[in-house]
Amino acid sequence: MNQPMHNFCGRTRREFLWETGAGFSGLAMTGLLQKEGFFAKQAVGADGVTPFVNPLAPKEPHHAPKAKSVIFLFMYGGPSQVDTFDYKPKLYGLDGKTIPVKTKGRGGARNEGRVVGPKWNFQQYGQSGQWVSDLFPNLATCVDDIAFIKSMTAEAPVHGSAMLQMNSGKIQSGYPCLGSWVNYGLGTENENLPGFVVMLDHSGGPISGAKNWSSGFMPASYQATVMRSKGPAILDLVPPENMSDDVQRQLISTINEYNQEHQLSRGENSNLAARIASFELAYKMQTTAPEATDLSQETESTLKLYGMDNPQTEYFGRQCLLARRLVERGVRFIQVYAGGNHNDANWDAHGDLVKNHTLHAGRTDKPIAGLLKDLKARGLLNETLIVWGGEFGRQPVAEYKEGTGRDHNVAGFTMWCAGGGIKGGCSVGETDELGNEAVKDRFHVKHLHATILHQLGLDPNHLSFFYGGLDQKLVGVEGADPIKQIIA
Amino acid sequence: MLFVKNRDDFQLPRQVKRSSQWGMSLLAASIFSAAAWLIQGLVSGDHAVAGKALVAEENRQAPDDPASGDSSPGFSPEDLAFYRERIEPILVKNCNECHGAGSKFRGGFSLAAREHLLKGGESGPGVLLDKPDESMLIDVINYRTYEMPPSGKLPADQIASITEWVKRGAPMPPPAVPVAMPVHEGPPQVNETTKAHWAFRPVTDPRPPVSQLDRLAKNDIDRFLFAKMEAAGLEPVGPAEKRTLIRRLYYDVIGLPPSPAQVEAFVQDASPEAISKVIDDLLESPHYGEKWGRFWLDLVRYAETNSFERDNPKPNAWKYRDYVIDSFNRDKPYDQFLIEQLAGDELPQVTRDSVIATGYYRLNAWDDEPADQRQAFYDEMDDIVSTTGQVMLGMTIGCARCHDHKLDPMPQKDYYGFLAFMADLQSYAGRGDQMNSRWSQTDISSPEVIQAHAERDAAVQKLEEEMRQIEQGAILKMKGEDQRKTEGAERKKVLREKLKDFLSKEELDHYQGLKNQLEELRKRALPPREMVLSVNNCQMPPRVTPLLIRGNPATPGEPVEPRFLSVLTDDAPQLPTLTPGQKTAGRRLVLANWIASKENPLTARVMVNRIWQMHFGRGLVKSSSNFGLKGDLPTHPELLDWLTTRFIEGGFRIKPLHRLILQSYAWQMSSRPTAAQLNVDPQNDLYSHFDMRRLTAEETRDGLLAVSGELNLAVGGPSVYTAMPKEVLAGQSVPGQGWGQSSPEEQNRRSVYIHVKRSLLVPTLSSLDFPDPDGTCPIRFATTQPTQALTSLNSAFYNQQAKEFAERVRADLQINELNDESLRQCVAQALTLTTNRPPTTAEVERGFGLIQSLRDRGQVSAELALERFCLVAINLNEFLYLD
Repeated sequence: MNQPMHNFCGRTRREFLWETGAGFSGLAMTGLLQKEGFFAKQAVGADGVTPFVNPLAPKEPHHAPKAKSVIFLFMYGGPSQVDTFDYKPKLYGLDGKTIPVKTKGRGGARNEGRVVGPKWNFQQYGQSGQWVSDLFPNLATCVDDIAFIKSMTAEAPVHGSAMLQMNSGKIQSGYPCLGSWVNYGLGTENENLPGFVVMLDHSGGPISGAKNWSSGFMPASYQATVMRSKGPAILDLVPPENMSDDVQRQLISTINEYNQEHQLSRGENSNLAARIASFELAYKMQTTAPEATDLSQETESTLKLYGMDNPQTEYFGRQCLLARRLVERGVRFIQVYAGGNHNDANWDAHGDLVKNHTLHAGRTDKPIAGLLKDLKARGLLNETLIVWGGEFGRQPVAEYKEGTGRDHNVAGFTMWCAGGGIKGGCSVGETDELGNEAVKDRFHVKHLHATILHQLGLDPNHLSFFYGGLDQKLVGVEGADPIKQIIA
Repeated sequence: MLFVKNRDDFQLPRQVKRSSQWGMSLLAASIFSAAAWLIQGLVSGDHAVAGKALVAEENRQAPDDPASGDSSPGFSPEDLAFYRERIEPILVKNCNECHGAGSKFRGGFSLAAREHLLKGGESGPGVLLDKPDESMLIDVINYRTYEMPPSGKLPADQIASITEWVKRGAPMPPPAVPVAMPVHEGPPQVNETTKAHWAFRPVTDPRPPVSQLDRLAKNDIDRFLFAKMEAAGLEPVGPAEKRTLIRRLYYDVIGLPPSPAQVEAFVQDASPEAISKVIDDLLESPHYGEKWGRFWLDLVRYAETNSFERDNPKPNAWKYRDYVIDSFNRDKPYDQFLIEQLAGDELPQVTRDSVIATGYYRLNAWDDEPADQRQAFYDEMDDIVSTTGQVMLGMTIGCARCHDHKLDPMPQKDYYGFLAFMADLQSYAGRGDQMNSRWSQTDISSPEVIQAHAERDAAVQKLEEEMRQIEQGAILKMKGEDQRKTEGAERKKVLREKLKDFLSKEELDHYQGLKNQLEELRKRALPPREMVLSVNNCQMPPRVTPLLIRGNPATPGEPVEPRFLSVLTDDAPQLPTLTPGQKTAGRRLVLANWIASKENPLTARVMVNRIWQMHFGRGLVKSSSNFGLKGDLPTHPELLDWLTTRFIEGGFRIKPLHRLILQSYAWQMSSRPTAAQLNVDPQNDLYSHFDMRRLTAEETRDGLLAVSGELNLAVGGPSVYTAMPKEVLAGQSVPGQGWGQSSPEEQNRRSVYIHVKRSLLVPTLSSLDFPDPDGTCPIRFATTQPTQALTSLNSAFYNQQAKEFAERVRADLQINELNDESLRQCVAQALTLTTNRPPTTAEVERGFGLIQSLRDRGQVSAELALERFCLVAINLNEFLYLD
């Protein structure tokens, strides 16, 4: 508690915002906030006069940041740790044997199970000798930039609440997501693009849909914008077919003229000015967003690097490439879903593990490796934090009487981070010899969240938002520290 | 993908110990210590200074802290050696980062000195010398309550060492350098001082003060406001223009704009009663309840689905919404309104309305597949207790779930005492019956109809259960892949194709017979019945409500009887004696009567303040859901009490309160402040002018439909589904699931009738700050975002409305041919409709200039150019903001 809280919500301000959300005299509000430095940096409307009071205006971080942006590659459904990065040699020999082991999945708690041996071989890679299974031949070449967390734990072994926890820290519904917290804490560097972007799988969104990128009790300004990698990138980005750019420009100019006249006698209300400026920003967004998603300027070799020359990897490759382009344009938080919809359209391998993971690793391995290499080559990796993982992992034992499917597992699973001030080529935490339960250096989802905020220059224990009589925090009221072991 | 394979297999998962509650105490501690610097920061306006002050405060030794030197009994050298060799290394490696000297002392718990260990942190003493086995320290390292260290359980031999050390009396040398004990300020106590907090005192009836400004006063509200204004050397601005006033009045009371005729009639009416007449008319309009009911729906987090993975509908939720709207329209006394919602099923006279009102208990988000059933049940109850506390009493009761309230005089026992009133309340549903929950749906049809349906339902259920058992038996023998399929949409297909392979001939015949019987039963025609979302099939006798230690369901403490908030009363609730056959415990009615009582100092004040907030943009108490010690003080406490007394005297009726407010000078003032006012009182706490406001999401959409002539003013009924952009549907795991299609006319209903699906909010509403319905919303945000402009320029909805608007304008003026003159008329009419005033010539010429320019460039027809202008007209700030 050495630093004063820097969350624009010292009590006076936070209650002020909370209580007077609607209908408050604009001058008073912006006047106060400016004094507090909240709106220190303002975008300026196209007329060169009108200040635009944007809730997403950039704000000073708590401490010097290591990362400017985050790309969260969300392996929805829950990849199996013992088949990907958590090498458990003993498990192979136990294949098919029923052994005593305590598990807790969607089917409840069990005391024994039939072991499903890992279905892929592992090798050590890189100078650091990290273990990676044969599922990720491309990613394996990047391990010296990656920090593996092999002792992750979460609280809910069912997708709905586990997704909410990985995204918002709470297994309950109604809380702001990680990307919302980041935008609330830091604002956005590029006001012509959304600060929090979500890209979805071709098969559909994840379970609970928009709850996974909701801003909960925060203003809707902080929720994610769903961006599509093909077609119009953002909802309502494109004018109606029969409205030319020239016509639209005239409409906006006319709106501005009316609105400026209206404002003349209401100068004290800066909300009016903000809305005037918002039309200009919207207009700019119409050109900025398509430019950001236009891959025609990318070279052949870049496209290849992301696997866009292969139908299997083209879709996810395009999203990864787009993520890099958004990072270059100052977007703070980008979440890309690998997997959507239900059943085997995502990593949720309850039936045929081999079929499922071959498909999903196959779709993503090359693009993710491409993203890491491309960012590195462009000098962006050190300021871009990449996070990889699902809402939980999977059990070392089978779910059904037959087959290779594994049930959910929150007692121990693997996630990894790279870039953005993360120490490459390391691994922290351990599960037991079955890969079932984290036993050494256990970490909770909140520690991952704390690490992400910390790398962005935010203090996870001080970033708070006042709601329901409490200073709410992403990491919970009890607080959490970053995972020091993986910070460079 | 998450259907539990077989209900019978489903067991309660292992208790999740590190639930989100246990750390509440830490938060409270930080709030507490923060309070000091906040106050200082407020005064100095300099947070850096305040921050330093805080650090200083933390490092200073508490006055009553025994010098952290040696108060330890004389331990033997062996004991001390045991500590040094066996214990200290463990602490250094695993504990001191959070609990050692120089650390943050998480949870207020310090291991830096023996005294600290004995005193313990916020969860109590660390070591009990008389009962070493029951020590918190031993508990946590065995992962019984907390799990310490959190990074992994200590090896068994280390646990044994610590256990032995505790049994020896935790021998420990004094620290080399004295370390201050973490300071715990206790929570506020219930005592004469805290009972004297303004909001806990009885409501008074102050006399309106007198001031020089009274000549302007229209009623006593103004006298209270003027006295303070005068003291600050300010005067109120003049009255608003009539056209401004009528527009303000319409949106304020019914959430819709006036028609040109309504504006003109008011402007022409020079009589002194002109405004009173309109106020009366509007308060009698059925659309009044649609506007004001919505504000109640914000508070009670109204939604029509459960959230979480499946986000299934709450059948018949709309009946609760209609109940709320109707209650406002009929000016139902507020005390009755509360009693019906809390105990409508326990009233001497249970009515259709009063049963529907108990739907209040069913509005929360609900997880049908929780990781921990018991925890989830208490979370659900907490949602209800917290919401009830904040909404009805302005008290954050939820903060006392895990420990005594850190900011208000509210022992933890009060929380459980409050919860105990609801001890007969069941969860929302069981997973299997969530679409027709026996706990949340009540059949209010005639007894004969109920009987007939009940018989059939029972028979169907029995047959289905028997068939399912046969199916599951067979499924267990199938291949994993097929087993998996039976959990989803393909179940029927798999059963159709493969079931026979896994059943004996006998079993198969039996199964087929059951299937035929089921079909027969389903075909039987029965009269329709009416189900309502409500409380039903209460748990009788009611549950025992234990105080949960640290809020953890795994550590129940002593049972708590129902009790009122102890800071408000010492009276014990008079609970009814239970008789056999009683369907509910009758306790909720006792609670309801206490909350809704005239003597309760909070209930009426809280509501009066909310009504004020809705009219003026913020309450006299700005923290309108927190009247506790740390809530805002009222800017005008006498006025609040005076209004509250009028409210209570008037039988808790809300419409007279509206009249009083709407007829005041204060509400009818201009919204143009003077320089002096802005200078002296930038927040307008003195109400020297009216504050402009942006329309709410609903007012914006409804107002738009009203001017475009498309608004369908039908009242009540099942919710409607507006056209949802496919980009938005694409975010769902199954795009389009749970979102229906309504006819174009139905889609043009008022916004309050749009289906509220928790995971799929309507973007045109949520982008204008429609609240997230998972939690109570006492006041809305009003954000300005570029994406709002994208929607209002580009969306199909806005462009469609622009087109309709252009047609409406032409129809109003009966214009067939579009020439320069008629286009000017159209522009004038469009501006009149959106701004509720006649436009100036310059404004008309500007609009006509746009049309001309678009037309002359040759690419756009006059019709289309007019549409484009109409798009401009509905994008004006003057349309979106109220003076």
